[in-house]
Amino acid sequence: MKLLMIDDDTGLCELLSEYLTAQGFTVDCFHDGAEGLKQALQYNYELILLDVMLPSMDGFEVLKQLRQHKLTPVIMLTAKGEDFDRIFGLELGADDYIAKPFNHRELLARVKAITRRIEHINSLSNQHSNSLSVNSININFATREASVNDNILSLTGTEYEILAMLVDHAGEVISKEQISEQVLGRRLAPFDRSIDMHVSNIRKKIAEHVNNERIKTIRGSGYVLIQGE
Amino acid sequence: MTPPSWLKHPRHYLFLKIFVWFWITVLATITLLVFLSQLTSNVGSDNLRGPMLKNLQYTAKSIERIVAKHGKSTQEVLSHPRFSKHKLLYLNGDVHGVEMLSEPISKNIDLSLLNFTKYMSPQIIFTDEYQAYGPIELNVPEGKFYLYEIDEKRKKPFFVSLWLMPTWLKLLIALIASLMLSFFFSRNLIAPINSLKETAKKLANGNLAARADVSSTRQDELGVLGRDFNAMAIQLEQLITAQKRLLADISHELRSPLTRLKMATGLAQMQADDTQQAYLERIEKEANQLDKMIADVLQVSRLEAKSQTLSLSTQSLQVIVDHVLNDAQFEAKQSNKVLRVNGALKTDIRCDETLIASALENVLRNAIKYAEHTISINLEESDAIYMTICDDGKGVDEANLARLCEPFFRQEHARDRNTGGTGLGLAIAKNAISAHDGTLTLENQENGGLCVNIRLPLKSQ
Repeated sequence: MKLLMIDDDTGLCELLSEYLTAQGFTVDCFHDGAEGLKQALQYNYELILLDVMLPSMDGFEVLKQLRQHKLTPVIMLTAKGEDFDRIFGLELGADDYIAKPFNHRELLARVKAITRRIEHINSLSNQHSNSLSVNSININFATREASVNDNILSLTGTEYEILAMLVDHAGEVISKEQISEQVLGRRLAPFDRSIDMHVSNIRKKIAEHVNNERIKTIRGSGYVLIQGE
Repeated sequence: MTPPSWLKHPRHYLFLKIFVWFWITVLATITLLVFLSQLTSNVGSDNLRGPMLKNLQYTAKSIERIVAKHGKSTQEVLSHPRFSKHKLLYLNGDVHGVEMLSEPISKNIDLSLLNFTKYMSPQIIFTDEYQAYGPIELNVPEGKFYLYEIDEKRKKPFFVSLWLMPTWLKLLIALIASLMLSFFFSRNLIAPINSLKETAKKLANGNLAARADVSSTRQDELGVLGRDFNAMAIQLEQLITAQKRLLADISHELRSPLTRLKMATGLAQMQADDTQQAYLERIEKEANQLDKMIADVLQVSRLEAKSQTLSLSTQSLQVIVDHVLNDAQFEAKQSNKVLRVNGALKTDIRCDETLIASALENVLRNAIKYAEHTISINLEESDAIYMTICDDGKGVDEANLARLCEPFFRQEHARDRNTGGTGLGLAIAKNAISAHDGTLTLENQENGGLCVNIRLPLKSQ
C-alpha cells in the first residue's frame, strides 16, 4: 500500500513513515505543497495525508487542484479546534480529517478504514460487476462510478461510498452513525458535521444534472434516498 | 529663580483659567452692584474731553467777550442766533435759582438735575431725557454762571442705555449672562472629566478598546490628562493583547513537538516490554493532558479575541442539553453523585452547538467535581433562556467568585491538581456564552454550594 504524506514538519514525517512502514505501508514524504501535488498527480497513491499549513501552496489549494484530476482519498491533517479548516477541507472534497496533535492509533485506524474500504470495493467489483439504479441515479460497483441520467458524477471515494450506501438502501432512513461507522470506519463523535458536509457535497454534484432533491434529511435521524419521482 | 510654570505658558493652565473666570465673575458682581446703587439717581456721567471740551470752552469765552465788548445783557447774547441756532445753551447761576437758556425748552426736561454737577470738572451728563455737556465756568456782569450745552435728541450710547434700563431687565440680563457663562465654563471643565470617568469604567470592565473623547487641540491639564489617559489605554491594550497572543502563539507552537512526541511514543510502544510499556503509557497520558490544555488555551484565546467563527445553525437547545446531560449522567454515576434536572426548553435558537455544548459540559464537569451528592440543573424559558447548574459542595469564597472564570485561576491548589482539570473550563464556558451574547454568572447558595447561572437571549431567527 503506497501512501503520500505532504507535511512541512520533517521530524513528524520521519516518525510517521517509520510507524506506518512498521504497519505495512510504504510512505513517500514531501514537505512542500507544490512538489507534493506534482507527485500526487504523477503517481497513483492509495491515500494522501495532507497538512493544511504548507510552504509555497497550502493544503486547501493542493486539494482543490488534485480534485480537478484525481479522486485519490485524502485525509486532512488540521489543527485541533480549527473548525473552519475542517469544514473547508471536507467541502473541497477531503475524505476525512484528523486533528493535530493526533493519536497514532487513531490515525492508523482512519488510514486503515479508508484503505480497507478500497480493498473491499475492489474485491466486490471482482465478484459481481453489477450495477444498481434508483430514481435515475446509477451506481456502477465495478467501475466505482455514480451517474445521474448518464452524466458521470465526479465523487470522492467517501462521497461515492455514502451515495452507494444510500442507493443500496433506497427508501430507508440511514442514520449518520451508520454512515460514519461503515464509510469512515469510526464512531460518530457528538456534534461532528463531517457526514453532513459529505452529503451536502453529493447533493451539489447531483443538482448540477437534475432539479429534484434526491437525498432528504430526516432531522435528528439521518438521510434517505427518495425512491420515486 | 525660575518663574512658576503657569507664567511661562499662561493659557495652558487650568489654574489660571479658573482664576481668570472667577475674577471675571467677581468683577461682574461688583459692577452689577455699582449699577444697582446708581439706579436711584437717573443720572450718569463721564469726563468731557477733546474737541467737545474745547468747543464748549470757546463758546464760554465768546459769550464773556461779546458781553464785555458790546455791553449787551447775557440773555441777549445767548439768544443771538449765533449761539441759539444750532444748539441749546444753558447757564446755571452760582446763586441758586438763577438760570438762563438760549431758547425756551419743553416742560418735560428737568434741568434741575444739573444743579448737583455744578462744581464738577466738565462732564458728559446722561439723563433719561437729554445729554448735557458741562459745566464751564463763565463770568459775566450778572455774576458767575456755569455753562452747559444741552442735547435733547442725541442717541444715548449703548452703555448709557444699558445703564438707564429698568432694574428687573438689568437683573434678568445679569442672571442669564452669568448662568450661561457658568454653564459653558463648567461644561467645558466637566465634559472631559465625565468622558474619562466613562472610559475608565469601560476599561475596568474589560473593554480595552475604550478611549476617552478628548479634543486633540485642547491644551490645558484636562486635555493633557485625556491624551495621557488614552496613551495609557493604548499601552494597556497592547500589553494585554501581546500577552494573550504570546500565550496563543506558544500553545500553537507547542503542537508540532507534541505531535512528534506522541508519534515517537507510539513507535516506542511497538517495541517495548511490559515495564517500559507502563512508563510509555504514562508518557502518553501526560502528553494527552498537555494536548488538552493547549487546545483549551487556544480555544479561550480565540474566544476572547473574538476570532472564532461561529458556525451558527438553528438548533433545539434541548437536544444539545440532552446530549451533554447524557455524558454527565454517566460521569456523575461513576463518582456516586446524582444529577437532577428540572424543566425543559422548547424554543430553537441560533447558536454554535459545539460551543454551547462545550460550555455546558465544562460547567457540568465542574459541578460534578465539587458536588457532595447532588447536582441540580434547572432549565427555564421566559424572556430569555435560563440554565442554572448548582452543586451542593462547599461553594467558593465570595472574593474569588469573580476570578473563577479567569484562565488558570485555582481556588485550592492542592485538590484541583489531582482532579485533573486544566483550570480553563469555566473560562471557556464564560467566553462561549458571551460569544452568543449571553451571560454566565456565579453565585454561592445560602446553604453552601456554587450556582452557575447561564442566560442566553432568544434571538429572532
